[in-house]
Amino acid sequence: MFNNAAVRRTSLAPVDWSLLWTVFALLGLGLVMVYSASIAIAEAKSAYHQSTYYLMRHAAYLVVGLAAAYGAFQLPSSLWQKMAPYLFFGLALCLIAVLIPELGRAVYGSRRWIPLGPLGNFQPSELVKLFTVIYAADYAVRKAALMQNLRHGFMPMFMVMLVVGWLLLMEPDFGAFVVIVAIALAVLFLGGLNGRLFGGLIVMLAIGFVLLIWLSPYRLQRVIGFMDPWADPYGKGYQLTHALIALGRGEWFGVGLGESVEKLFYLPEAYTDFLLAVTGEELGFMGVTAIIGLFAWLVWRAFAIGWQSALMGRNFQALTAQGIAVWLAMQSLINMGVNLGLLPTKGLTLPLMSYGGSGIVANCLAIALLVRIDFENRCLMKGKRQ
Amino acid sequence: MSRARNPILQLDLQCWRKRLLMALVFGGFTVLTARAAYLQGWRNDFLNQQGDMRVQRVVEMPAHRGMITDRRGEPLAISTPVESIWLNPREADATPSQIQALASKLDWDPDSLARLFANKGKAFVYLKRQLPPEVADAVQAMAIKGIHTTPEYRRYYPAGEVIGQVLGVTGADDNGLEGIEYAYQSWLGGEPGAKRVVKDRLGNTIEDLELVRSPKPGRDLTLSLNLQLQYLAYRELSAAVAANKARAGALVALDTRTGEILALANVPTFNPNNRATMTPERDRNRAVADTYEPGSTIKPFLVSAALEAGAVTPETRIDTDPGWLQIGEKRIHDVHSKGLLSVAEVIQVSSNVGAAKIALAMKSEDYWKVLSHAGFGAAPGSGFPGEAGGKLRPHETWRPIEKATMAFGMGMSVSLLQLARGYCAFADDGVLPRITILKRDAPPVGVRVLSAKTARAMRDMLESVTQPNGTAPQARITGYRVGGKTGTAHKAVAGGYSANKYIASFVGMAPMSDPRVVVAVMIDEPTGKEYYGGQIAAPVFAKVMADSLRFMAIPPDRPLEIVPTASGSAEEPT
Repeated sequence: MFNNAAVRRTSLAPVDWSLLWTVFALLGLGLVMVYSASIAIAEAKSAYHQSTYYLMRHAAYLVVGLAAAYGAFQLPSSLWQKMAPYLFFGLALCLIAVLIPELGRAVYGSRRWIPLGPLGNFQPSELVKLFTVIYAADYAVRKAALMQNLRHGFMPMFMVMLVVGWLLLMEPDFGAFVVIVAIALAVLFLGGLNGRLFGGLIVMLAIGFVLLIWLSPYRLQRVIGFMDPWADPYGKGYQLTHALIALGRGEWFGVGLGESVEKLFYLPEAYTDFLLAVTGEELGFMGVTAIIGLFAWLVWRAFAIGWQSALMGRNFQALTAQGIAVWLAMQSLINMGVNLGLLPTKGLTLPLMSYGGSGIVANCLAIALLVRIDFENRCLMKGKRQ
Repeated sequence: MSRARNPILQLDLQCWRKRLLMALVFGGFTVLTARAAYLQGWRNDFLNQQGDMRVQRVVEMPAHRGMITDRRGEPLAISTPVESIWLNPREADATPSQIQALASKLDWDPDSLARLFANKGKAFVYLKRQLPPEVADAVQAMAIKGIHTTPEYRRYYPAGEVIGQVLGVTGADDNGLEGIEYAYQSWLGGEPGAKRVVKDRLGNTIEDLELVRSPKPGRDLTLSLNLQLQYLAYRELSAAVAANKARAGALVALDTRTGEILALANVPTFNPNNRATMTPERDRNRAVADTYEPGSTIKPFLVSAALEAGAVTPETRIDTDPGWLQIGEKRIHDVHSKGLLSVAEVIQVSSNVGAAKIALAMKSEDYWKVLSHAGFGAAPGSGFPGEAGGKLRPHETWRPIEKATMAFGMGMSVSLLQLARGYCAFADDGVLPRITILKRDAPPVGVRVLSAKTARAMRDMLESVTQPNGTAPQARITGYRVGGKTGTAHKAVAGGYSANKYIASFVGMAPMSDPRVVVAVMIDEPTGKEYYGGQIAAPVFAKVMADSLRFMAIPPDRPLEIVPTASGSAEEPT
């Protein structure tokens, strides 16, 4: 009889294995698809014609990311809460550094990177997304009493986001800007920001986005290209038409792993922003739905962990977990929406899958934090029974 | 409100807010899934078609051009696979060091190559055509953006300059431009095929999808030439041209029974493997395309016409004193007065006065008929492009002086090939063969142009030419009876005849008991001490004829005694 009780108690696993396996599946599939999508480009571009050039790098990022995640998992979530403002403002300094020519590095006219010598390039805007989640969650908890107040509840956060958003737009990194604004809004919304205030904010933001797009010709071009890519398939619609062709070629079951033709220099950014299109070509609708399904489960679990925390009164953890859920959902939805021709081209990677060191490390850290919160919840639950 | 103001109560996370957000997110995932199903399951026909438009190309597959061989199967012209390298400057992207390396590989000036890379107005420029595959592979291994290769075939001629004008050349597009390559283009040339392939955006073929049309290879062609004999003929001819400091020379060897051309050499020549050696002077097939005044080599046709017409017999006596003959205002000369000569001796010592007197003793029409039937004035139909027919004016227009000079080959023109063919009529008992450059399985029926009796009588006279008191004892060869006729013609120049420019020639046959081979040799403008046909053309004839007989395994018809090197025997100009 005692034994039974002991079994029941320990039957609650220490961590959420379904979540972890989902993450490993996305990371693994990402590694395979990055290799497949980059193989031809690597042979043509890299100095020694190594077909594994991007594979090796991506694998190295994964190792770094998983190591960082393991380290982060050791830290109590409360520490993140304490550190949140410092982390966030420290990173804001990095965003300023990126814009300084002596420190930052420009690629294709975008100043998004800080070179770190042999370690590669650090892209602060990826980490900004995670730190925005933490900062917003902490902010909502700290200002819980003021959540109905425009001036004291909302304006400080608004000013901070204005500055950080402006820094991101200076790079420019419009995709990151959209994601952090969405995260901040979602966390404040979940944190109980006044409903009417929030409604008004949404309307203002919508107007702001439209204005931004309208005033910046290249963003307008992207929007037009997305509305009807076949009107100018060799100009503005080039990238999107090739993404759609890749998906169409894949049909239900794909042309087979490694068999994509569109990745052979037709589809730009095949191993970063348009990894889903290559996956859709090689693995078909099956592959695309598998990825959508994995993300859906990941987001579902993150919300669930957040709600579990909320039920336990751990509000910072609840908002952080849900903020991570919103982040991963937002970025994967936008990226896949772009690939499928539902959204204008953004320059956002597919979380956990696309090539890119900073992005992978930031995603792994987010997952580590999520798993840590869940781990703490489970410990508390076990502790209650004891 | 009151709760919210109480900091102890902290946040009240409302479930509906979470649910609203989750609904939005999972609504988004559902829309994505539906969109993917629409693109991949329903709209894929359109997308596939658009994709095929962009990635599929129909490319040409070069067809193998037929091989040309000599009569024993020795390859004379073969096609080998090569690669042509081209550049699309629009997609070109290379570092200066890459351009430098490419320039040195392709033998380009680095600066002009760099300019080409920068010329974005062009989409296709050949950098180098017909490179060996290993060079092309090395260039491809550099993986420079915008550099492409196309498979082609290149023609290779193992015998090179020895046979240059006969074979001619093909252009870079593998079509015959000259010679046999041109004449038999439709036989040798294949039809290129086509296949549908998938290409990457840089133009590399990734996958073959389907064969649209398989390439039809060209057919092989066997020539009547004997490459060994051709080598020899070329060697002897070029040696003679060099030794006599001549402008040019030509040689034709014919099989008298089949009409096959066994050797056909020209000097100067070009190497068909290197188009840079081609000049109008070098790439002309002189033996076939050039005509000249035949001089005394035409006399046997005059005499055979006179015999056929009954105007003379071989024994008829003709007085050639005093070594010249006045016709109107013109005077015909022999070098020395020969006195009273038989018709046979007119041939043997090549007397112009004697020949003129024979001509004047017969009707113009009779002489013209024999010349015309023997093929003069018409293209010989050997299969070569650009055959010259020569000039033979209608006999009605001949004035007496013209009839007299035509007796020794002035006032008409022939090609060396025509002359060689004409002599076959003497060799084959009066039957003129249809000649060809292709190997024949069975000889076609020739045309009788002389009676067998006349032909035999002429052979006796031709053999006497190679006797010690004839004009060409140098033409004799060990073991065989040889006959022929010399010619030393002043070259026709603008407004008359040149006093010191000659064409020395010899046309002969062997073995005289049953002649199987006719060899004609022509040396143009020898500028050395010697210029008579018997002196400079006959020795070439002797060497080539001796080898021809050996190659054809024709039994000797004379006791094997050493032929003394003739010298100081009677020679006669014209």
